[in-house]
Amino acid sequence: MKGNKKDKLFQWTAGIVLTIGGILFVLPFFWMILSSFKMESEVIQIPPTLWPKEFTMENYKNLFENMNFGVYLKNTLIIVLFSFFGMFLNAMAGFGFAKYNFKGKESTFLLVLATMMIPSQVTMIPVYLILNKMNLTDTMLGIVLPGLVGAFGIFLFRQFMTTIPDEILEATRLDGASEFRIFLQIILPVSKPILAVQGILAFIGGWNSFLWPLIMANNERLYTLSVGLSLLKSQYGGNFALQMAGATFMVMPVIIIFIIFQKNIIENYTTSGSK
Amino acid sequence: MKLKMRKTTATVLASTLLVMGILSGCGAKSADTGNSNDKVTTISVWGMGEEAKSIPKIAELFEAENPNIKVEVQALPWDTAHDKLLTAVASKKGPDVVQMGTTWIPEFANAKALKDLTPYLDKYPGLKQENFYPGSVETGTYEDAYVGVPWYIDTRVLYYRTDLLKEVGYDQAPKTWEEMQDVSKKLADRGQGKYGFSLDVKEQSLAFMLARQNGSKLFDAEGKPLFNQPEFVGAVKYMNSYFENGSAPMDLGIDAIQGFRGEGVAPMFISGPWMVQLIQDQAPELEGKWATAVLPAGKENNFSSLGGANMSVFEYTKNEEASLKFVEFMAKPETQLKWMELTNSLPSSKEAWENPILQEDANYKVFGEQLETAIPMPSTKEFEEIAQSFLSSFEKVYRTKGADIQKEMDDFNKKAESIINK
Amino acid sequence: MKSFTSRKAPYLFIAPAIILLTLFSLLPILVALFISFTDMDLAGLADYSNLSFIGFKNYIEVLADPVFLKAIFNTLFYVIVGVPLVIVTSLGVALLINLGVSKVFKVFRVVYYLPSVTNVVAVAVVWTYLYNPAFGLFNYILESMNLSAIPWLTEPTVAKVSLILMALWRAVGLNMIIFIAALQGIPRSYYEAAQLDGANTWQQVTKITVPMLRFAIFFVSITTMIGWLQFFEEPFIMTKGGPLDGTMSAALFIYKNGFQLSNFGYAAAGSFILFIAVIAVTLVQYRMQSKESDY
Repeated sequence: MKGNKKDKLFQWTAGIVLTIGGILFVLPFFWMILSSFKMESEVIQIPPTLWPKEFTMENYKNLFENMNFGVYLKNTLIIVLFSFFGMFLNAMAGFGFAKYNFKGKESTFLLVLATMMIPSQVTMIPVYLILNKMNLTDTMLGIVLPGLVGAFGIFLFRQFMTTIPDEILEATRLDGASEFRIFLQIILPVSKPILAVQGILAFIGGWNSFLWPLIMANNERLYTLSVGLSLLKSQYGGNFALQMAGATFMVMPVIIIFIIFQKNIIENYTTSGSK
Repeated sequence: MKLKMRKTTATVLASTLLVMGILSGCGAKSADTGNSNDKVTTISVWGMGEEAKSIPKIAELFEAENPNIKVEVQALPWDTAHDKLLTAVASKKGPDVVQMGTTWIPEFANAKALKDLTPYLDKYPGLKQENFYPGSVETGTYEDAYVGVPWYIDTRVLYYRTDLLKEVGYDQAPKTWEEMQDVSKKLADRGQGKYGFSLDVKEQSLAFMLARQNGSKLFDAEGKPLFNQPEFVGAVKYMNSYFENGSAPMDLGIDAIQGFRGEGVAPMFISGPWMVQLIQDQAPELEGKWATAVLPAGKENNFSSLGGANMSVFEYTKNEEASLKFVEFMAKPETQLKWMELTNSLPSSKEAWENPILQEDANYKVFGEQLETAIPMPSTKEFEEIAQSFLSSFEKVYRTKGADIQKEMDDFNKKAESIINK
Repeated sequence: MKSFTSRKAPYLFIAPAIILLTLFSLLPILVALFISFTDMDLAGLADYSNLSFIGFKNYIEVLADPVFLKAIFNTLFYVIVGVPLVIVTSLGVALLINLGVSKVFKVFRVVYYLPSVTNVVAVAVVWTYLYNPAFGLFNYILESMNLSAIPWLTEPTVAKVSLILMALWRAVGLNMIIFIAALQGIPRSYYEAAQLDGANTWQQVTKITVPMLRFAIFFVSITTMIGWLQFFEEPFIMTKGGPLDGTMSAALFIYKNGFQLSNFGYAAAGSFILFIAVIAVTLVQYRMQSKESDY
């Protein structure tokens, strides 16, 4: 089938279009990384230089002297772990909505969807007051609870899980497995593709957590990377080189993690088309 | 089946509880701030922005004097400090001591979030009002409650490049508004991409300061705004003239120092004392090519605005004594001089100003002279919102060619009235 | 007994999520609704005895507030320009990547979704610098090609577009993944049958792929729409809503009034107007979608 001229041409066109777009997509990253190695005086030159005249590690040194980077990183990672747990709760709820019939299912689900439309700015103060009543301010738990589950995730899981044939469940039930075991041993393995998408979302959400840690933490102990960077921005407003170093430091670990794990994450999607 | 169901229920519940348990375990652990040892009191101090970095160094000196008090300093980004204070007020849980920008005092004092220190003055004489500049005591006072102890003060002066002003025939800084306009125009005429005066359109106190120089009282005796009166409108026209004839840069995207150094894209700006240090650090090559001067005088005077920060004790603190001790320590003349060394912010303590450093250094002399007449911004809780509203009105003025300034100010005055009468 | 199992189990599965959503989404919205009929400010927040009911006053005032109306206009602008842009770009990239046969295409998947995993604060820091009129890379490139500089963030309409570009850069990755996942779900037998009938790539895409993706497109358009309606982080960090309120979004207006000026009652009223708009738009989309699939 393959290999005719038209197809080859198409492949090349697709490749070229994607390459041009891809260059545009990574350009900001290059600019960020290159600038982080420039001297402050070079960063504010007019016209700007693309390649650093002399590479300097000064900005990175500076970063460590002025930021508790280790602490921020640790907190951010803890929050990421929590978001994975939240994903598990979303999956449970999605399964409940997808595979059972119960009283009030439709209306409950609609209510869940409605929560997606609530702008977070509206609920911030009330949520804070509720957490305060629960005595959770200034704790890690208070930071992660409000965003632990989300309608978006529940909805995605439900959509996916409705496509799983009922027969599989029935067969396992006849073998005498409990409902929860069915979920763990049958449903989750089948749901790998959606788990991958959700995993990415959970990671991004956790990694970017900014507002809650800032509002909840009465102490730097609980700050995350985003909060640290915004602090840097407010203390070194004009120092672009230092800010770029901070940004690079935040972005690079994620990029590296994704390049390493992208196989596992996206492998689910690869077609067997490239034989 | 029934049994199985129970098992399922149990499994789900148990796992949920287990996780919750682990979670709250973490929560509890991190919430423990070391109050277990009853000998040592820990107070938390919130500082903001750039200064927050230097507070720990001062706090160490305090801890050395008071071994049974530990100080935890938390730095907040300026952008989000206000939100965080709001939530602290809502939950009545927050810092023990908090840095208060002078413009925020009215709002938080009105919400009863800051302790009135009047009853404590005999026990902590270092807090007494007579130790400080009257103008800065005024910023910490709200409706007769003394809620903010003066910490550092700042006032705006003119920064200028002596060498570049010489080139256009000014051996001294401009003394009046007219001279200021004239020298700015001459500097801007040096060529394409060159300007005279970097007028900061995001600085909310600038217009009100200039209006006072032009004879405006800002508010009448009943508290009605006077922003559409000739004195105020004249000041806005004066500000706008810099944009109209191209003496001030618009949307250049460079900060004051970047415009100040080198060729001098904008060789003059008005700013506070922190800039002295920043210029020395970031543009050391300018040594001897720049100076500060008192502001050019308007029709009436050359009064500058008085700002800065106060130290307040949070109303809901559980460590009253330690907090007051800390605030008193921060108010001491020697602490304030140490603070000046670290951050270049000016002391609010009168005694500190007798120090030879402040008497001899050329820049400090200028600030000292400017401070003698500096007046704080009006201390009403609505002022912050009024100032914000002015900035958006002024943006309409300077971005529109031939804007009707009187009309814009009429609108702004109406808006200010409605903010006050809310 | 069997039925008993199925009766109880679902409640247990959905319980944790529902409890959390009730606590942190539904309950707060009721609290906010209550607040919107009061004159709550900081003093009211500190001590509830300072609150008083003022009926619909907040709603009437906010609807007459020129800044709010501008924010609504900008938000519509974001939706009308942003939604199609995000969908077309993500779908286009997903299709091209999916059709590619060489190993190179795997690299593209990583490249295109990198921006969406990066931290918004870091991104804003970088883009602020890219857009900087004097030192920014963009204007530098334009000038070196002898084109005139663009006022990226300093002209109201251009600034809106600049923010949309930046948000697009961040949004493509995730939606592309959703589309790719959906593309995998299309049975290969369909394509094989089409190939036997002699359909070329383009025909396969239009006749099989896009119709099969209908649900994914609907899903992405709903979530993207909600995202744009609640557009907040970019204008908040990059422009603070300026110049001349040109990038002010409804969500940012709420934030500014609530958290910077402490007019909580007023901000809550504004937020309910936004909330109702989001629900209305979603329902309309939902109706259109169900109509389409009924033929």
